[in-house]
Amino acid sequence: MYKNLVVSYFRPVAILLLLGGLCLSCSKESGPVADGKSATTAGDDQIASQGAYEITAKLLEIPGELPDDPLYNYAFVFKYEIVNVIRGELDSKIVYIGHYKPLEPRDTVADVSSGEVGGNLKEFRAGDIHHMALEVPIDDYFMGGIVNRYFEENTGPIYWAVWTNRAAD
Amino acid sequence: MKFGKIAFVIGYSIGAMALARPGLAADTPQQAELRSEVAAKGWIAYSARSKNGSWDLFVSRPDGTSRRVLTDTPDFEEAAPRWSLDGRQLLYRRIAKGTEINHDLWGFQGQLIIANADGSDPVIMGDDQQLPWASWSPDATQLICLNRKGIDIVDIATKNVIRSMPRKGIYQQLFWSADGKWLTGTGNIAGKSWKVVRMNAETGELNPVDAGQSCTPDWCSDSKRVIYSSRPPEQKTNKGYGWTQLWVADGDGQNGSLVYGEEGVHIYGGAMSPDDHYVLFTKCTEDGGGAEKTGGPMFIMRFNDTPAITGESAEMRSIHPNTKDGPAIEFGTGWEPCWTYAEILQGR
Repeated sequence: MYKNLVVSYFRPVAILLLLGGLCLSCSKESGPVADGKSATTAGDDQIASQGAYEITAKLLEIPGELPDDPLYNYAFVFKYEIVNVIRGELDSKIVYIGHYKPLEPRDTVADVSSGEVGGNLKEFRAGDIHHMALEVPIDDYFMGGIVNRYFEENTGPIYWAVWTNRAAD
Repeated sequence: MKFGKIAFVIGYSIGAMALARPGLAADTPQQAELRSEVAAKGWIAYSARSKNGSWDLFVSRPDGTSRRVLTDTPDFEEAAPRWSLDGRQLLYRRIAKGTEINHDLWGFQGQLIIANADGSDPVIMGDDQQLPWASWSPDATQLICLNRKGIDIVDIATKNVIRSMPRKGIYQQLFWSADGKWLTGTGNIAGKSWKVVRMNAETGELNPVDAGQSCTPDWCSDSKRVIYSSRPPEQKTNKGYGWTQLWVADGDGQNGSLVYGEEGVHIYGGAMSPDDHYVLFTKCTEDGGGAEKTGGPMFIMRFNDTPAITGESAEMRSIHPNTKDGPAIEFGTGWEPCWTYAEILQGR
């Protein structure tokens, strides 16, 4: 059970300060993640107000070529391994999450089809850890094409990525 | 030359002059024969740009004559007309002036209007974006609507939702078969998107109609076959993107076959005449059907003259070597045409 494993001490409060051209990182209260790296980045505070679930999770793979067709808006389902559950209850270590048009950076991807989605993630790469705000089921939040290459493997819910940041290196 | 042929040639020549349509090529004899054949077969409604630039609703005879505007409203964009099966009523969407009509989202745009078949007495059925993707029940007493939460069947008289069901991945263009037993729409199924699907209206059971990338389905009047646009994946032309073609298949996904294709244009707006004898479609050089601009040229063919491929279309012809290539007639420029055999303008 990945129920609020670190909710009591995981606080997305990373703040970057620019002073005289120097970038200083304030101390963080983030909990450790699987690879020992920090789980939060600047802008993570926005995630706290989005979606019913907040997690950090590792993108396990890119399941084949991503559709590159600007005419057709779609969501693409990725497979993640949960690192931390910050808000909400998730019963599985593996979750399947639909991202809107994953070839585009999260901060510019939102349009009339997607509704409000965003984040600072620029690119989906296998092995990266993402800090996400989620909703479920995807059909309640996105009404469009969904490419789900895990259709036969996953009979559980598909989550909808509302906000996606790359966890800090 | 026999008298019949002489009479036809004379008639064709007179007809060609009488039907001279600015910007359109003269008909071949085969096209002229088809144009004459459909001339009195009811009316076709469609969306098109008015002279003032806004979208309005128009009707014309199937041969392109007697064109007239139904909604002369420069302060609104009207689009997506659809007659009830009995041809007595017309529904469409009235959208705020200047709004770009989105070819994938138009069912969510603007207000739903129900009017008499000739466009008179329009009634606003709901607020902006309400009753999304509304289309007629077979008896025109109910609407079927598609929203994120599911499919709603709405009683027109009371506007009450009388039944709801899961949408099961359908996200666009939901239409009810004439026998009331089936729905068709565009949706996700078996992990794949952009699939024309059929849903049992009673049980909600879903099945794919087409194996390729497909959308914009509509029912044939027999309630058994679905006509739709499809872009088969085997195409290498158009930089590997291919061209969208018009297809028909049984509702259970069997017997899928090409209706019309042409390399260089994408085919949308597929719809059948009320007796399934003729097929309507539009051509557009850009994929999507042209809603964001001015639509495209609209055509009619005899269904018995299909499958048809126009132009060189070398790759398409290599895949479909046995086409009939019957005549198609252009009858105007617009978007989302629909056909009724009712005499909608009686009394006007």
